[in-house]
Amino acid sequence: MNRFRGPVRRKGDRYVIEIGTDETALITRLVGELRALLTDPEPDAEASQLLLRLFPVAYPDDADMEAEYQRLMRDELVQSKLSAFDIIDEALTSMESLDEGRLVAVMQSINSIRLVLGNMLEVTDDPAIDEVDDEHEDSAEYALYSYLSWLLEWCVRALT
Amino acid sequence: MPITLEPTRVEEPSIDEHVAPDHPWIVLVWNDPVNLMSYVTLVLKKLFGYSEAKATELMLDVHHKGRAVVANGSREQAEMHVFRLHEHGLWATMEKDGTDA
Repeated sequence: MNRFRGPVRRKGDRYVIEIGTDETALITRLVGELRALLTDPEPDAEASQLLLRLFPVAYPDDADMEAEYQRLMRDELVQSKLSAFDIIDEALTSMESLDEGRLVAVMQSINSIRLVLGNMLEVTDDPAIDEVDDEHEDSAEYALYSYLSWLLEWCVRALT
Repeated sequence: MPITLEPTRVEEPSIDEHVAPDHPWIVLVWNDPVNLMSYVTLVLKKLFGYSEAKATELMLDVHHKGRAVVANGSREQAEMHVFRLHEHGLWATMEKDGTDA
């Protein structure tokens, strides 16, 4: 067996991502789905619930300041996430080496998908229920969540 | 947060001087079950220039105590910090210093 090489590696001052075409297609599809959710002008209750974790409350103790913050910053946060999605799409299409800023955008995008999946799967860090409850443990979504966690960990290692 | 690989510790001087007493707003990061410990440490290093040791200490506070104050400053500065933490998917909030029980 050849020595295992991680899927994200540093090469000088650049970074290389090497994942299979199936995984690339899967991530690209998920990014597309998330982009559609983020740009939906009238998201339904289910969509809003899925996106909840991407837009945390800044001022939990002051509703007026929170409303003002969201008015000023929410669109900017959406734009930031969409820009990162463009970068991960491009990175996975070209498979060329990336500078640090672009790998950070890739990492942010992977984490955005994890946050939505984690919310969907009701992931918890309560050791008594082993991260996810039985209902989700064998689901395809949980396997996907685990895969993205693994990939994210390699992004972090490359950048550390 | 799920347990991940132990980050490498690098001993560097503490940068507690970032936390000056005349700054009225504090930025908190809260524990959440999705963000990886190694990821939180990296984000704190990247956004605030913390050493590995300081970022790891703050991450462990988040993990074990449920939250940690990661920055402070004017309201505008705190909002920018919160925004950048939200860009990275961390669960960050801000409040006036002294209101945190």
